[in-house]
Amino acid sequence: MNRPTMQTTITSAGLLLAGVLSLHGCAPPQASQDLLAPTEAQMKIRSLQTRTFDLTDRNAAIRGVIASLQDLGFIIERAYEDLGLVTAARFAEPNYYDVVTITVTVRQETADRMSFRANAIYNNKPIEDPKVYQNFFAALQRALFLSQESKPST
Amino acid sequence: MRWIHRIVVRIGHLIPIPALAILSGCIAHTEPAELFALTPDVPKNRAMQTRMFETPNERELLSASAAVLQDLGFQVEESQREVGFLRAVKERSAREYGQYIRRMLLLILSMGKFLEPVDLHQKIAAALVARPLNPEATRQEIRIGFYRVVWKGDGQADQQYIPPGEQYMEMIRDPEIYQQFFAKLSKAVFLEAHRI
Repeated sequence: MNRPTMQTTITSAGLLLAGVLSLHGCAPPQASQDLLAPTEAQMKIRSLQTRTFDLTDRNAAIRGVIASLQDLGFIIERAYEDLGLVTAARFAEPNYYDVVTITVTVRQETADRMSFRANAIYNNKPIEDPKVYQNFFAALQRALFLSQESKPST
Repeated sequence: MRWIHRIVVRIGHLIPIPALAILSGCIAHTEPAELFALTPDVPKNRAMQTRMFETPNERELLSASAAVLQDLGFQVEESQREVGFLRAVKERSAREYGQYIRRMLLLILSMGKFLEPVDLHQKIAAALVARPLNPEATRQEIRIGFYRVVWKGDGQADQQYIPPGEQYMEMIRDPEIYQQFFAKLSKAVFLEAHRI
């Protein structure tokens, strides 16, 4: 094979490869049909993330959520009374490079029952470890209980 | 003089080790469950960040807090009166002489091989919450937390260039910062700030 022919072969092979690659890039990735369908795992996670307490005062419940997150060293980013929504974040100290974000929503189920739902994210990954939510609700219960206890003391 | 040279070379070999340790720090993860556990320093932090005021006027406490934060150079970004919440931020230089001296010493010791990145810029955030302590709301509690994010400049470890922009974040744990804030706040509302 003489040199010009070899060069042509290499160029055409390169063009072919580029063509194949660009064609491949054009095909859109197929979203799976059940991407948004509820799965059993989701139901399990939801039950981990939800807890109800016997409370009547919705505003006090939201303030209790804020107090518990402050106790855990979170920075409150947003807190809305009307939506019952609190968003907070903290750094994964002593590891200064990672961030944990949590969103808590408060819903009044009945006149004397309040439901709390928490979602936590580590960097960009949802936390599914039950221990995390157990610890959070323990801190929340403490904050709600403490604020209730401080009432009769006056 | 040969032994001095040998010692300097040896130190030069040792320098990349802390550099590697710093780099590998990015990979280590903290267990999330630990981050939601109540640790022994929770009461200590709460005491540092919280003061109690004998006043029924939560609204006035909040607006006075916003004014004090403004006096301290913060921009108030978020305020929600219904839950007694304020968030404010300020951006400042994070340069410190000590770090530049350290950088020079490390550079000399490593014979020009290790140029440590120094802190350049920081963003300080304050999250403040007011809440009534009793049902009649005659006593209010103010809790404030200060946090900062620091951005580093560039550096060099042996042949490896360390790009700028590396960041780390921390809660500010210097009690004096909190004392200063509460001193200003109690002056602003003409009330004594009680420790809890």
